[in-house]
Amino acid sequence: LTMRVLCTLTLSVFSVICSSLKVKASNPPNIIIMLMDDMGWGDLGVFGQPSKETPNLDAMAAQGMLLPNFYTANPLCSPSRAALLTGRLPVRNGFYTTNGHARNAYTPQEIVGGISKDEILLPQLLKKRGYISKIVGKWHLGHRPQYLPLRNGFDQWFGAPNCHFGPYNSSVRPNIPVYNNTEMVGRYYEEFKINKKTGESNLTQIYLQEAFDFILEQHASQQPFFLYWAPDATHAPVYASKSFLGQSQRGRYGDAVMELDDSIGRILSLLRSLHIENDTFVFFTSDNGAAVMSGPNESGSNGPFLCGKETTFEGGMREPAIVWWPGHIKEGSVSYELASVMDLYPTSLALAGISPPDDRTLDGLDLTPVLLKPSHTLQIRPIFFYRGNELMAVRLGQYKAHYWTWSNSWEEFKAGINFCPGQEVPGVTTHNQTEHTMQPLIFHLGRDPGEKFPLSVLSNEYQDALGRISSVVEQHQKSLVPAAPQLNMCDLAVMNWAPEGCEKLGKCLKAPKSEPWKCDWPH
Amino acid sequence: MDYIPLSFVSILFFCACSASPPNFILLFADDLGFGDLGCYGHPTSLTPNLDRLAAAGLRFTDFYCTSPVCTPSRASLLTGRYQTRSGVYPGVLYPGSIGGLPLNETTIAEVLKPQGYATAAVGKWHLGVGANGTYLPTRQGFDEYLGIPYSHDMGPCRNLTCFPPDVKCFGLCDVGTVTVPLMKNDAIIQQPVNFLDLEKAYSDFATSFIITSATKKQPFFLYYPSHHTHYPQYAGPEAAGRTLRGPFGDSLFEFDNTIGNLLETLEKTQIINNTLIFFTSDNGPELMRMSRGGNAGLLKCGKGTTYEGGMREPAIAFWPGTIQPGVTHEMASTLDILPTFASLAGAKLPTVMLDGVDMTEILTNQGKSKRETMMFYPTDPSEMYGLFALRMGKYKAHFYTRGATHSGTTPDQDCPVFAVLKAHDPPLLFDLEADPSEHYPLTLFGRPDLQEVVDKIMKEKEKFEATMVFGRSEISKGTDPNLEPCCNPQCSPKPRCCQRPNP
Repeated sequence: LTMRVLCTLTLSVFSVICSSLKVKASNPPNIIIMLMDDMGWGDLGVFGQPSKETPNLDAMAAQGMLLPNFYTANPLCSPSRAALLTGRLPVRNGFYTTNGHARNAYTPQEIVGGISKDEILLPQLLKKRGYISKIVGKWHLGHRPQYLPLRNGFDQWFGAPNCHFGPYNSSVRPNIPVYNNTEMVGRYYEEFKINKKTGESNLTQIYLQEAFDFILEQHASQQPFFLYWAPDATHAPVYASKSFLGQSQRGRYGDAVMELDDSIGRILSLLRSLHIENDTFVFFTSDNGAAVMSGPNESGSNGPFLCGKETTFEGGMREPAIVWWPGHIKEGSVSYELASVMDLYPTSLALAGISPPDDRTLDGLDLTPVLLKPSHTLQIRPIFFYRGNELMAVRLGQYKAHYWTWSNSWEEFKAGINFCPGQEVPGVTTHNQTEHTMQPLIFHLGRDPGEKFPLSVLSNEYQDALGRISSVVEQHQKSLVPAAPQLNMCDLAVMNWAPEGCEKLGKCLKAPKSEPWKCDWPH
Repeated sequence: MDYIPLSFVSILFFCACSASPPNFILLFADDLGFGDLGCYGHPTSLTPNLDRLAAAGLRFTDFYCTSPVCTPSRASLLTGRYQTRSGVYPGVLYPGSIGGLPLNETTIAEVLKPQGYATAAVGKWHLGVGANGTYLPTRQGFDEYLGIPYSHDMGPCRNLTCFPPDVKCFGLCDVGTVTVPLMKNDAIIQQPVNFLDLEKAYSDFATSFIITSATKKQPFFLYYPSHHTHYPQYAGPEAAGRTLRGPFGDSLFEFDNTIGNLLETLEKTQIINNTLIFFTSDNGPELMRMSRGGNAGLLKCGKGTTYEGGMREPAIAFWPGTIQPGVTHEMASTLDILPTFASLAGAKLPTVMLDGVDMTEILTNQGKSKRETMMFYPTDPSEMYGLFALRMGKYKAHFYTRGATHSGTTPDQDCPVFAVLKAHDPPLLFDLEADPSEHYPLTLFGRPDLQEVVDKIMKEKEKFEATMVFGRSEISKGTDPNLEPCCNPQCSPKPRCCQRPNP
């Protein structure tokens, strides 16, 4: 009898192991990337924000892993998002401009360009393993038909191609369309209301519902999914639903954070209630630093870091980041590894068991060894800080060398646009584009995360750090093949006058004659 | 079946525990800013034990000290009264200071003694030495003391070692005075102090005090004000070079290690569930030390100023089983610690004007604070100027602003000493919830609701100042070089001859 029990036991244990292996082999995890818009490092309670807006994100961090050294690839949204989906620096994937020196460019609706057809986007590769991919929210990789999500690997889309600026007088400028898959279903400020006076809009709720429906659908059809959830409530004009307006203590911006936090909590709970939390890898981050120039009502906080959005100081590019995957990632863990939004590309591929393309340089690294085993360290890897076509700064280990510094021009600064309120560091937050290539400003970010006290160039520490960083920079620049810049040309004729589906709604507008010009990028 | 007797036992055990009054450990950091701990968003600090306290305890986001420099802040902590009442102002006490915390003030230790508590202080006292040790901890309700009776930069440090193997302390510290002494009760046991061994001595002293009290089943109060994060930073071999944050990070890590030792001792002696640990700091970061100084996080300016960075502090309350893990946004202060400890211990409050309120409700129930306002006095309070700022609810009104040397080298023009005293009428008003960084003063024009707030604040100010009786200034009594602690009182030439290398 004992023998039989033992046998059955062994057998069943064996079959459990086998079936779990089989499950692993046949079912790669679902992947959810939650990308916030203009949310700052310091906006989360877990990163020291004294307001009480993020109980769900704080809990997510407590159940997962926090990455305090996580960077975006560019201090502005379009290039940052292009880098996420291609695993490559904007200068390599074409999402930059050469119209001026070191200018941030993005995709307003007069932009002619978009994501190049030569790039391979993450969802295109995930298809190989049967993933169904959906983007909910802001796309920002070009709004002309050939650049839209469903032409670039996504199976589904609900959201808008551009920022939610407006409202516009349709004879001069169309309002931004909202798409459901390939067809527009309305426009911002028309069918999709944003009340700029009160800050009320239920867009986040719509985006939440879209996420819910998608997860439930894929769960029912037993197919692995990739959900790229990119709400934009924390980008100016900041908005929140009626039930969140006035609920936070930080005004409209705080209300938006609260609603996003609440939505994230609901998405995680849904995964738990479907019992797929152990099969779903969730990554939370933001596209660039808080827009401190829009403070206090429409800006978040970058905590201890210098300046914010548009700049290559830490405030512009260090991002909050949380990984959540119960049963796989140790709860309450912290990894100080330097990491980048571009790592999400090879990391997702590794999770799906797909090999990355071998015909191109990837800037991202596979983070799975670090995430699954916190004691593991990656190779010493640099973080590059680009503004347009210029390598402004490089971080290697704890050292960050600035080769160029610039906040914004005197002209803009005098007009009241301040990229670094309360933080003018002489010689660092310069209003002229200042070159330091012969003698970079070097900060030790461990001792001085706020980039206020450059190391003395006479110190051994400086010389030693410079030596190591210089060789990395030399190597990077020698091997770098910049792509053709996609964000140089603008034309009023390419705006969202007549997006696909407009006829059904009777919302087609007449485009003016094409008169392209070289876009002007002031920052 | 097993379950029932087990839970019975634990209920009995719990009852037995809660019947005896709780132990208190008060940890007080030096010049540690709002943004300096991992759990408050510092990207490179290494504070695993403090983070553990925060994760399993209650973390405050709106906790204030009473002065942007240490001596007055410590006086308020131990008495529950603004420093203006006790006379512990302006600035700080020096080794040869004649005055100190007046003996007729009642400290937390003196409040707890009648309840049978064992009391000990270890670390930085800084509330006076005086003739024949008049003001030392042992004269203020503490049974035992081991430590440096003032800041550890208040004596020449150029030849002293701050980090192993022999890294000299950074800077000169105060010259022309005796080297820094280590005292056991009221006797000097080492002069100058050996920084590399100091933390081990403190940790051993504190853990053996806990063990002794636990063995005797006597409730205790341990007060550990650390020197560590104050200039010049130091750390022994266990902590040096262990963090990404350099000297400041290493010294903070050493302090954190000791907290780990205390926790371990509480677990071993099985009294951790009957011990309230409270952690906070004396004032904001000394930004003039640049990357060797602390970090105020997103708050404005630091030490020496009445902006948030100077006086809003990290604070954590930890008491397994009694305090639920979480974060509180209730306003609280170092002033509230004395009434809270008194209430938890069932002790009588001193019959003086107290400025603190009992915060037990916040601790045990995550409830509301009884505190409605927080008063901001500058480093040199005077009846002529009165309050520099007042916080009521989410609004803070500045009546005067001024930069400080301690907050120098910061990019914000309002922080360094060059930002001279400026009166604000109407007061400079900030919404600390929307704008914790005090970047955007609110405009009263066309905002009757805000005008109403200002009126209310002015009324509170008037009411408060009407009840404020300034105590005679202890620090203005001046200094006498003969009072500087010297291990060899008859020697000459002073101060150089005051040397005792080994304890």
